[in-house]
Amino acid sequence: MSMCSRVAVAAVVGAMALCGQEVPLDLHSSIDIKLPPDSPVALLNTNVRDSGATQRGGAMVIDLHMALSLRNSDARTIRGITLLVTAQEVTPGGKASVAVPSLNVAAGQAFPVRIDLRLLRPLQAGAGPLVQVSLDGVLFDGFDFYGPNKLNSRRSMTVWEMEAERDRQYFKSVLGAGGPEALKREMLDSLARQQERPRIDVRLSRGGRAVTSAAEPERLARFAFLKMPDAPVEAIDGWAEVAGNEARTPTIQVQNRSSRPVRYVEIGWIVKDRDGHEFLAGSVPAAESDLLLPPGKTGRVLQDTALRFSRSAGEPVTIASMTGFVSNVEFANGRVWVPSRASLPPAASSSPEEQRLADMYRTKGLNALVEELRKY
Amino acid sequence: MSRHPSEASLALLAGGELSPWRRWGVARHVGGCEQCRREVAEFSGMREEVRATADSPEVSWNSLATEMRANIRLGLEAGECVTSHAAAHGVFSLRAMVACGSLVMLLVVGFLIEQPAPRTVEPKIAEAVLETNGSGIQVTEGSQAMMLLNASARDVQYEAGGSTMGARYVNSDTGQVTINNVYVQ
Repeated sequence: MSMCSRVAVAAVVGAMALCGQEVPLDLHSSIDIKLPPDSPVALLNTNVRDSGATQRGGAMVIDLHMALSLRNSDARTIRGITLLVTAQEVTPGGKASVAVPSLNVAAGQAFPVRIDLRLLRPLQAGAGPLVQVSLDGVLFDGFDFYGPNKLNSRRSMTVWEMEAERDRQYFKSVLGAGGPEALKREMLDSLARQQERPRIDVRLSRGGRAVTSAAEPERLARFAFLKMPDAPVEAIDGWAEVAGNEARTPTIQVQNRSSRPVRYVEIGWIVKDRDGHEFLAGSVPAAESDLLLPPGKTGRVLQDTALRFSRSAGEPVTIASMTGFVSNVEFANGRVWVPSRASLPPAASSSPEEQRLADMYRTKGLNALVEELRKY
Repeated sequence: MSRHPSEASLALLAGGELSPWRRWGVARHVGGCEQCRREVAEFSGMREEVRATADSPEVSWNSLATEMRANIRLGLEAGECVTSHAAAHGVFSLRAMVACGSLVMLLVVGFLIEQPAPRTVEPKIAEAVLETNGSGIQVTEGSQAMMLLNASARDVQYEAGGSTMGARYVNSDTGQVTINNVYVQ
């Protein structure tokens, strides 16, 4: 190797070392966890092990791994919790939440919540905490709720808990009717369904296009709707602007068939690709405080976003057709409706509780699952 | 009697190079002034002497011009030879390449290290975009990003709804279902 080549190699190695060097970061002052004085949960401990910051060029990559230990300081049993996570300096327009549904935490018991974040920000940033964590809501046994509910976590956690009650009841009835072997078959079916579900990456942007260019011409695609006779709301008509693997501005007309006013509707959105594979693309929720549907009246659910679908390798998933179904409804009095298991389409995702129970069967076995079901 | 004209005016009068109006004024003064008349006579005499001296040597202007043109052509040809030699060296010189490479490397490393950082709190100009990948859900605004990671996750299910992207999975450490949501405003 000539002298010039050695100098060049040394310069490249030096540059690479400078590009990815570790940067000291005071993790405890970087994280601000705030709980209200009358919070029903108390923070016992925060572990930020394995967290750190790395300099990459003119930017800093910060990995924050927080293991929070919380205690139920209320007399009621906690069924779910939602924490609000913000990083105002990094993403002024973005916020996040970490929710843990399907809990069964009695008074005085401790439980863990993990928050794992990665932030990319300029090297020269302002002082103050990088991340703020606060309580958005706690759901108790009997659907009691505590919290500021900035993210509408009350409704989300109520839906999850109603689905959990529905699915626990179903699996208990299977156990009662067919014994452990029947429950085992149900769990194996559930795991197979979860395994077969296509892994789709989604890109979402508010308004406009999700991508800068779409090779295929845009067309107006209509939704087909699943018949759900027990649903209080019926989806009548719907469409979205579709171009290749991109769908924009889904719009769905719904009618309140119940005798009570409805203030929120969510339509599950199933996409079928050109190969006939179906996957749950997401949901079309009614805009907050935008819908109050008296009995018999018709309203419109509109989403001003663009979604782009691709497989893990970046291969576009071309949208061939779309199906919608009513996935949950909230009445004006705060009561929530969720579909029965029988009326759900096969492509619909399993509930968080079914996911937890199936995972328990896989990791701890059938006896542990039977014991878990007997607790309720 | 008016003031004496300057020496320059008298010299110009002697050579006949004054403007008509100025010549009339100066000549009128000289006609009545003995001193100035003598000076004008001296300037006229000197002028005759210079003309007589300049006429005597014989210069061959044509041969001088030919010699100058030949010298200029020779200089240009010599310059072209020197330029082509230097250019050939410039392309293939290892030293020059190393020098240029080092300079480029220095500029790249300098840019990476001292890249001007954007303002920490920017007005919301860049559109926020939510996207999922194998690691989690990321919201990106310009050059800044926040990603909620699916740590210790099994069976991640993604779902987009409104201005939200959600990831649901079982945490293998705790056995709990975790639902991460990232929102754009």
